[in-house]
Amino acid sequence: MKKNTLKSQKRQEKTANTLSFIAVIVLAAFVLLPIWWIFRSSLMNNAELFAWPPSFFPKRWLFSNYTKTLALFPFWKYFKNTMIIIVPSVIGGTVTATMAGYAFARLRFKGKKLLFSLCVGSMLLPTMVTLIPLYIMWSKGLHLVDTFWPLILPYFCGGGAFNIFLIRQFIRSIPRELDEAATIDGAGHIRILTSIIVPAIKPAMIVVALLLFIGIWNDLLQQIIYINSSENFTIAIGLSQFKGSLKSDWSAIMCATCLSFLPGIIFYLIGQRYFVEGIVLTGMKN
Amino acid sequence: MDNRKPAKNKLLRRESRTAYLLLIPAIIGLVFITYIPLCAVLGLSLFKWEGVGPMTWNGLNNYVRLFTRDPYFIDSIKVTVLYALLSVAGCMVWSLSIALLLNRKIPARGFFRAVFYLPYVLPAMAVYIGWNWLYEANYGLFNYLLSRIGVTKIMFLGSTQAVIPSLAVIAVWLSGNLIVIFLAGLQNVPRVYHEAAEIDGANSWQRFWHVTMPSMSPIIFYNLLMSLITNMQVVTPALALTNGGPGNASCFMSYLMYIYAFRNSKFSYACAIAFVFFLLIAIFTVILFLTSKSWIFYEGGDER
Repeated sequence: MKKNTLKSQKRQEKTANTLSFIAVIVLAAFVLLPIWWIFRSSLMNNAELFAWPPSFFPKRWLFSNYTKTLALFPFWKYFKNTMIIIVPSVIGGTVTATMAGYAFARLRFKGKKLLFSLCVGSMLLPTMVTLIPLYIMWSKGLHLVDTFWPLILPYFCGGGAFNIFLIRQFIRSIPRELDEAATIDGAGHIRILTSIIVPAIKPAMIVVALLLFIGIWNDLLQQIIYINSSENFTIAIGLSQFKGSLKSDWSAIMCATCLSFLPGIIFYLIGQRYFVEGIVLTGMKN
Repeated sequence: MDNRKPAKNKLLRRESRTAYLLLIPAIIGLVFITYIPLCAVLGLSLFKWEGVGPMTWNGLNNYVRLFTRDPYFIDSIKVTVLYALLSVAGCMVWSLSIALLLNRKIPARGFFRAVFYLPYVLPAMAVYIGWNWLYEANYGLFNYLLSRIGVTKIMFLGSTQAVIPSLAVIAVWLSGNLIVIFLAGLQNVPRVYHEAAEIDGANSWQRFWHVTMPSMSPIIFYNLLMSLITNMQVVTPALALTNGGPGNASCFMSYLMYIYAFRNSKFSYACAIAFVFFLLIAIFTVILFLTSKSWIFYEGGDER
């Protein structure tokens, strides 16, 4: 009797798993369909795009659309500008967040509690609130508008409270015996940080770098505010201008969109393992 | 701290010197790009200043004008809160359900996790432009799919009723990071709890409500808070897609602030919006924290 119910329970679970699998496939299709639709639109000519009913696959795959689009849409220039902002910001943010995270995790000093709560408090402060005073500082005070500095330098100031917090939590999960052994060997705190902590928290640092990357990647508002001349356009601003100038040449617009997707997808594929692990960390360590 | 041990004291001093040294960038950040600007927002909002010329004291007039005479402000609060509630609710339900599905024994879990996460790594600007085409009224993907099931065309971005829900759908589509966090949380729910509940005869629905949900509640709270703050700040769809329209149907608070400050140079007036926005977020955060005590379950009871 008992065995029977167990068997039926097993069977029930199997059905549930199969149903879940089907549901996951349907939902995944919903997630992928928009991306496919955008990609397939980039390979069609406009006559095909405005046909009814629309088809899911292009009749001919017009990769020539991309050559045409690249002639009008200086993707590589925008890409270069975006990288000029992203690369130093990501490095600066990761390094300074690690420094601060280490101090909060391991060192004793006066005012630690206060500083740490100020830090955590700023996590809840929306960036939008401080936008105008910062703009006034960069424009009226430092005269650096239409350069990349206002977009880069803030990241050298700790890289955001969230990332400091993340690094601190990660360092705290490393056994103290490791640094104590090094102290006995005569290593100073900086030595411990660079030769023991940093190698141990590499995954967390990569996550911070990737989170910074995505954050800057998506920060359209600040790029619009600080960048004026087309020489300095990032991918995001360039794309919005490109769309504004074309209005309804959707196949070219979709080409430009797909091109802009590309770096994100490539970075994701490279860093995927860390990405997922890291997001897991951010969720767990609070 | 012990005076009789000067050597130890010296060590401590060196330790704190190192700490301050390492914290210099973060302290500069906290002072100059967080807390001084926060005070400056409040200060500026009490003046009248349009970017050039002298500032003149204006008291609370900016705030009075915002709430009594501004034709856009009250609506922008409503639109922002509506959008935030819709997208937060949508994101939570969507990502928790997918995480629950992915937590079962199904094939190719890693692959599906990567698929659901993918939209999150795409640049927002490109995402919104892409969706602009998907939402196109006559030839877009969604109206085509709707026509296949016999639903009449929806002006997704062109009608005042549809635009906010349409934008919230994009927010849900983008919420892959929440799925991954939820999934990690689910995998951390101790198996013994489930087994114990099973022995007590709980069915899977009861196990979900009495085992899974309580263990997940801290993570749910964290995701709720963070996505509320993110979604309240919504501005990119207005910048990239709708320009606040149609009419003012998607004129979010951030977008209104942007327009006042950077198109019309009404800096101090825009600061008043920013400060009201800050208070609004603070109120929401406090409410969430207060209610959280009743529904967050911490393992080990009162230890934390």
